[in-house]
Amino acid sequence: MTPLTHKVCMLGDFGVGKTSLVARYVRSTFSDKYLTTVGVKVDSKEVALPGRDPLKLVLWDIAGRSALDAPSTSYLRGASALLLVADGTRETSLSSALNLLMQSRSTLPDAVAVLAVNKLDLVERWEVAATTLSELRRSLPVFETSALSGAGVEEAFAEIARRLPG
Amino acid sequence: MTSSGFGDAAGRPAAPAPVVVSEPAEPALREAVPAEGDFERLRELLLGGERRELAAARARIEELERAQRDLPGRLPDAAVEALRSEHGNPRVAAALSEPVAQALGAAVQTHRQSLVDALFPILGPMIRKSIAEALRSLVANLNGAIESSFTVRGLKWRFEAWRGGVPYAEVVLKHRLAYGIDHVFLIERASGLVLHHASAPGLPPLDADAIAGMLTALGDFVGDSVGGDGSGALESAQVGEDLVWVEHGPRANLACFVHGVPPAQLRTLMEQRLEEVHARLLALPADAPLRSIGDDALVRERLEPSVLLRDTDEATAPVAARKPSRLPLLLIALLAIALLGGFAWQRWRWDARVDALRARLAAHPGFMLTGIDARAWRALTVHGLLDPDAEPLDAVLADAGLGAVVPVLDANGYVCADDAVIARRAARLLAPPASAAIAVHGRVLRLSGTAPQPWIDAALARAPWIAGVARVESTLAPTGDAVADARAEIARIVAELQARHVAFVQDDEPVAGADAVVDELAASLRRIAALAPVARVDVETVAYGSNDDSGGSEANARVRAQRAQWLERALVARGIAGARVADAAEPSDAPNRRGAELRTVVHEAHR
Repeated sequence: MTPLTHKVCMLGDFGVGKTSLVARYVRSTFSDKYLTTVGVKVDSKEVALPGRDPLKLVLWDIAGRSALDAPSTSYLRGASALLLVADGTRETSLSSALNLLMQSRSTLPDAVAVLAVNKLDLVERWEVAATTLSELRRSLPVFETSALSGAGVEEAFAEIARRLPG
Repeated sequence: MTSSGFGDAAGRPAAPAPVVVSEPAEPALREAVPAEGDFERLRELLLGGERRELAAARARIEELERAQRDLPGRLPDAAVEALRSEHGNPRVAAALSEPVAQALGAAVQTHRQSLVDALFPILGPMIRKSIAEALRSLVANLNGAIESSFTVRGLKWRFEAWRGGVPYAEVVLKHRLAYGIDHVFLIERASGLVLHHASAPGLPPLDADAIAGMLTALGDFVGDSVGGDGSGALESAQVGEDLVWVEHGPRANLACFVHGVPPAQLRTLMEQRLEEVHARLLALPADAPLRSIGDDALVRERLEPSVLLRDTDEATAPVAARKPSRLPLLLIALLAIALLGGFAWQRWRWDARVDALRARLAAHPGFMLTGIDARAWRALTVHGLLDPDAEPLDAVLADAGLGAVVPVLDANGYVCADDAVIARRAARLLAPPASAAIAVHGRVLRLSGTAPQPWIDAALARAPWIAGVARVESTLAPTGDAVADARAEIARIVAELQARHVAFVQDDEPVAGADAVVDELAASLRRIAALAPVARVDVETVAYGSNDDSGGSEANARVRAQRAQWLERALVARGIAGARVADAAEPSDAPNRRGAELRTVVHEAHR
């Protein structure tokens, strides 16, 4: 049976580790050079959840930026979910991720949104306070991830899959 | 000796101390001024260290300057040596890359011609190689086309081109340029998600979702970058022989990954298929997700690569698509058969008539046929040998039934030994009276009947000399009253002679067959000339011309004279002299016709 397919867009500031998260999660078909040329790279990953039919996530890794421009907005069309990525060692990247979420709501008012605060392996240098994250968890799922160790990566994507219609 | 005067302990210079000079002054002065050697020693004591350092520095500078001067000479070897070194290679290459790139850039700006000159020997062979490859490919295609021209397949293609009304080259290219459809994607326009995907058999699996996503992203990228007002979209992308064609619909896009050179009809077919998909989308239940179109069996079947290939081939074959009526072809075939049949029949008819003519000419006494040159229904020339005493061929040629073709006779003279020709020759030369008969059998001339004795004597004397006559046999009997018989015979001949005339078309142009009439007139005159001495008469012959009612009197007088002169000349040509020309005078009976005739007057001989 063909699994249901959902488009998931990854948004975040430059250098927060979006591409590394995707690389940790899937085996890419396309080269990263598309990020610098076209501004997006697409991969897919089939997710099996207990008690549910498998889903396929088509991941659109959109080149890092702090605000959405026209091309990035066009890439968001038809997305079912957003994975917002911030760098724990840069508090400004968290602001950028939340800013991108606000901007994308005009295009995707009903899209599932999950926040991944990356670089857990450098937690001792984090600028993002735990209280901030606790506050954020009230409005959207937040995962502390590490593309280096893989911690929290599968969970973040699984959470997206859980929240998507089966 | 004076104080040293070189300064105090602080290094300040001391004021010069007064010098007390006593006699003798000169030697004292010489002693007060330090000698050159002393300066050197002082210098050595005070500046020795610095001077040695200065000398060493100077030597070092000279060494460096010398090295600098030698550098251009040593640099190539040094660079080669450095690049050869196992460890130095990357560093040297990295160090040289930037300046070399800058130098190349500067050289392109300032020494373009030098670069062109330098690169020309490299670019030339590369370009030639590329052109050669392209020509090789073209020649291969041409060879294929030429080879196919003489095969059943080539004829089939020609027929296809003829029926389709397209150039033959286009049909050849259609068949020669192979292409294939590798993948077909039906993609949701908004999200870039795959609605349906099909691949040709034997291809490795691929991440259809990722590819469809990237294709959509590329389309968005192109549209946003260069689309201007947003109406532009990525419709095709090509790398080498691999090609992607994208058709855009309001809700879904259709993409085909193709290798080779597809015909334009594939693009049209894609449009049709996408329209069909959208029609099916409209038929979906309101709550059905868009992706359920991928489960539609008809859509899946219609978007199979093999089906698209088949339908494209059918669309490019106008023969099958149009199924034109066979009636024109049948009519053309019938027309061609009729034309061929008509041509064959005409040719057979011509050949049959030429054969019949050949047979008649071969059987004609006095004529030896040597050949016939014929171009069917255009021209015919008869070649052969013709005895002057043979029956004229005019009638034979005129009765050949060759339509508008007038046979041309190309004949040379000869003497025929056929009995019939010998008989005609003997009759011409002997001019026998009506009571005498001439016959030839086996070249034996037989004279029979009755005739005046003088004629018998003359005939028997001349007959053996007639060409072709081997022997003469005579049963001739002389008539009773030779004079009366001769006069009666002359009267009869004169009556016959005056009943004949040579007809003219106009002016002095005689009708066909005029020669035969002149021959008969000449024969009659010879007979009269032979009988005249026996009959004891003199015969005067006058040639007249006559005319019909047309024309003025002067013109008719001139024409009459011309026709009379023509007849006189024709008789002279046959050995008959003595006929008088009446010029413009008309005979007493003045016939109303275009002709020339003879009138004879018989007188008693004056002896």
